[in-house]
Amino acid sequence: MTTETEQPVSTQGFYRYHDVIGLLSPAGPGFSGPVAVTTGPDGMLYVANRANPKQPDGVRVSRCTTDGDYLDQFGVWGEGPGEFIWVTDIAFNPQGEVYLADEHSHRISVFGADRQFTRTFGGHGSGPGELDRPSGLEFGPGGNLYVVDTLNHRVQALTANGEFVSKWGALGDAEGQFNMPWGIAIDISGDVYVTDWRNDRVQKFDAEGNFLMAFGASGGDEGQFNRPNGISVDADGDIYVCDWLNDRVQVFDRTGGFKDVLIGHSGMSKWGRTLLAANPDIERKLELAVQNIEPKRRFYRPVSVHVDGNGKVYVADCYRHRVQIYQKL
Amino acid sequence: MPETDKPLLAHLLRRAGFGATFQELDRYSQLDYETVVDQLLHPELQPAIEEDVLERYYIDWKESRNIEGALTESVYRMNAYAGGRPLQEKIALFWHGVFATGLAKVLHEKTMLNQIDLFREQGLGNFRELLVGLAKDPAMIFWLDNNFNHKDAPNENWGRELLELFSLGVGMNGQENYTEDDVQSAARAFTGWTIDDDNVTSFPFGKLPWRFRYLPDDHDEEEKTFLGHTGNFNGEDIIDIIVEQPATARFISRHLYNFFVADDVQVPAWQHTPPGDPEAIKILEEEYFRSNYDIRSMLDVLFNSDFFKSDRARFAKVKSPAEVVVGTLHLLGDFKFPKRGIFDVAMGCRYMGQDLLNPPSVEGWHTGEEWIDSGSLVERINFVADQVSDIQQPGVRAMVDALLDRMDELDPESVIDACLELLGHMRLHEKNKAHLAGEVRAMLAQRSGLVAGSPEDRLFAENTFLHTMKMIGSSREYQFA
Repeated sequence: MTTETEQPVSTQGFYRYHDVIGLLSPAGPGFSGPVAVTTGPDGMLYVANRANPKQPDGVRVSRCTTDGDYLDQFGVWGEGPGEFIWVTDIAFNPQGEVYLADEHSHRISVFGADRQFTRTFGGHGSGPGELDRPSGLEFGPGGNLYVVDTLNHRVQALTANGEFVSKWGALGDAEGQFNMPWGIAIDISGDVYVTDWRNDRVQKFDAEGNFLMAFGASGGDEGQFNRPNGISVDADGDIYVCDWLNDRVQVFDRTGGFKDVLIGHSGMSKWGRTLLAANPDIERKLELAVQNIEPKRRFYRPVSVHVDGNGKVYVADCYRHRVQIYQKL
Repeated sequence: MPETDKPLLAHLLRRAGFGATFQELDRYSQLDYETVVDQLLHPELQPAIEEDVLERYYIDWKESRNIEGALTESVYRMNAYAGGRPLQEKIALFWHGVFATGLAKVLHEKTMLNQIDLFREQGLGNFRELLVGLAKDPAMIFWLDNNFNHKDAPNENWGRELLELFSLGVGMNGQENYTEDDVQSAARAFTGWTIDDDNVTSFPFGKLPWRFRYLPDDHDEEEKTFLGHTGNFNGEDIIDIIVEQPATARFISRHLYNFFVADDVQVPAWQHTPPGDPEAIKILEEEYFRSNYDIRSMLDVLFNSDFFKSDRARFAKVKSPAEVVVGTLHLLGDFKFPKRGIFDVAMGCRYMGQDLLNPPSVEGWHTGEEWIDSGSLVERINFVADQVSDIQQPGVRAMVDALLDRMDELDPESVIDACLELLGHMRLHEKNKAHLAGEVRAMLAQRSGLVAGSPEDRLFAENTFLHTMKMIGSSREYQFA
C-alpha cells in the first residue's frame, strides 16, 4: 500500500483513490512506459511496457500482485518468435493463455499460462486475418478474439488460433466507421465497445458488429474526448475510458451518460519508497521541488484501464510509469 | 502565367528548407517567386503535423528520456515539416547553432526540446523578443549557470555569452564591441533570473518540467553602467540596449548570410575579418533597423535579393549533417508517418559530426568546409548512396516512374540530366559528369536502351536510373546546398 493515509475521492464521489504501483525502471520492480494493464486468471496484475527506442531491454510484460509485490517478467524486444517491438495490449483467453499485440510486426503472439511462447498469427496486410498495426485486444464470451486493426480502420473477430471469423468498419466518421481506432472492451452480454481514436468517440456494437450506439465528441468538457484509447466495462455496465490527451479517465453509465471523472491522485508507491529509502538524496531533492504536488499526482497520458471483479480500477499512467488504482464505492 | 524558374526555386528551398521534391517544385513553379518566399516566411499558415499520431507511435518522445531520443525527435519533426513548413524548422536549426545549448550539461531532454520549440515559434519574429525568451529559457539558464547568478555572488557566464556569442559579437571592424565592465553589468542585471526544479531526478515517476522563475529578492537593484547607459537595469533593459547596437545588426546579418547565402569564416574571426559581401551585409543591417529588429523582414529582403538569387550563391554552402540527413529523407518521402527505424537514421547526424541538441560548445558547430573530414565524408556518402537507390522508398519510386514516363530511349547524357533535375536541379562539374557518363554508357552497352520495350527492358531502365542516382548521391556536388 501507499505510505499516504489520504484517500481522496473522485469528482462525483463514486470512486476513491486506493493505491499506486510503479517506479521508472527498465527491468524488475518498475515499469517503463506502461501501455496495457489487466489482471490475469491467476489474480495477478500484468503490465505491458513499451519503453523507448534506446531502451529495448525495457520492453517486457511485468507481473506483480495487486498489492504491488513484484513477481517476474516475460517477453523480450525483437522480431523473432515470442518477441515484440511495439506492444499495445494484453488479453487472456478462457484457457488462461496470454495474447499480446505488436503493432510493429503486425501480429499477435500467444504465451501459455506458464508464460512460455506458443504461437503467433496475423501478418501485415488488409485481407481477412491480416493486420495493419493492431492495438486493442479482447476475448468475447463466445471465445473469439476481437482485434482492433488500427490502420485498416476496422475490428476483426478471430478464433483463438487466429482464423478469420468476421470484420467490420472502414475509414470514416459515420456510424460503424472508424478513424484509427485503439481500445476495445466487451461486456458480459458480449457487446463490443471501441474507442474511435481520431473521431473522439466511443462506439458500441453487438458481437456481430451491428452498430448500437455512440457517445462522445471532441473537446475537454464532461463527456468529450481528446483521443480516447483504453476502455473497460465493469459488471454494472459502467464504461471507463482513458481520455488520453485530456489526461483523465472518464466514467459513463451503460447509456453513455457521463458519470464521473478520475484525474489521478498518486502517492508514493511501495517500489518508490524502497528506492528512496536507499537514496535519501533523491528524496531530499523531491521534497525541495516547487512543483511537488500537481504534476506528480495526476495522470499523464493514461493509456489503459481495467476493472476487476471487485470494482478496483487499474489505470496505466504511461508517462509516469505507474498504475494508479481506484476503488469503486 | 509563365512557370517560375525551377532551378532558382530549388535553390530557395535548399536554403529556406531541406530541398524540394520534383513534385513540390512543379507546384511552386505555378506561383511567382515572391509569393513562394512569402509562403515560406509564414509557416504558421500551413497545416501542423499530426502531433497526436506522432505521440501515439513514439510514446516516449513527449518526455524524451535520453539524448538520442531527443535528437531523433528533432530529425523526425524537421523531416515531417520539410514539405509544409520548411523554414520553421530551418530557422530553429539556425538559432540552435547560434544559441548553442547542449544536453551534455543540461541533461533534461524535454527542456532542451522546449528550447527548440521556442526557436520554432519565435525564430522568425522580433529579435528583442527572441532574446528575452532565450534569457528566460530554462535550458539556457542552466547551460550558462544563470541559476547560480546571485545578487551577492554574480556569475558572469550568461552575461558574457549573451554579448559575445548571442548578440554583439566580440568586435567588428577590428574594434571591440564591449568591455569587461559591460559583461559584469549585464550579469548583475540578470541576477534573480532562475529556474524551478532543476535538481529533481527522474525517479521515481519521471522528470518534472523546468520552469523560469524571477526572484526579486535575489536581483541586484544597484545602479549599473552598460554600453554607456547608466541606470538600475534589469535583464530586459540590457536587451533593449543590446538590440539598438550597430554591432548587433552586423552580428545577426553575418549569421543570416552565413547560414542562408554562403559560407563565411568562423564566428571568432569576425572581429578582424570583414564580411565577404559587405554590400549584402549592409542591406541586411539596414533592414534590421528599419523593421525594428524583425527577422522575418530581414529574410524577406535576403531571399528576394540579387545576392541570394545570383549564380554565385548557388551550391556555395557545404550542407550541414542535418541538411544531408533531413534533405535526403524528404527527397525519399520516408518517415512521413511514424514507423520504427527513424532512430537509426537520425543518428546519421551524429556520425557526420552534428550531434543535434548537443553541440561541442556554446560556440556551436563550425560550419562550411569544417563539416568535412575523411570520416564524416564517408558517413555522408554512404548514407545518401544507400538511400537514393532504394526503390522501396516512395520518393525514389516516384522519381523512377517519372523518368520512365519521360524517356523513350536511354542515352548517358539525357539520363544524367534527368536524374540531376529530379534530385533538385543539381549540377555536376563537367569532369565528374563526363566520368559518370562513361559509367552509364558502360551499363547501356549491355542492352538496347529502349525504355518502352519488354518488362526486362523496363527493369533495366529502372536499374540504370537507380545506379545513376546513387552515383550522383555519392558525388562531391551532392554535399553542397
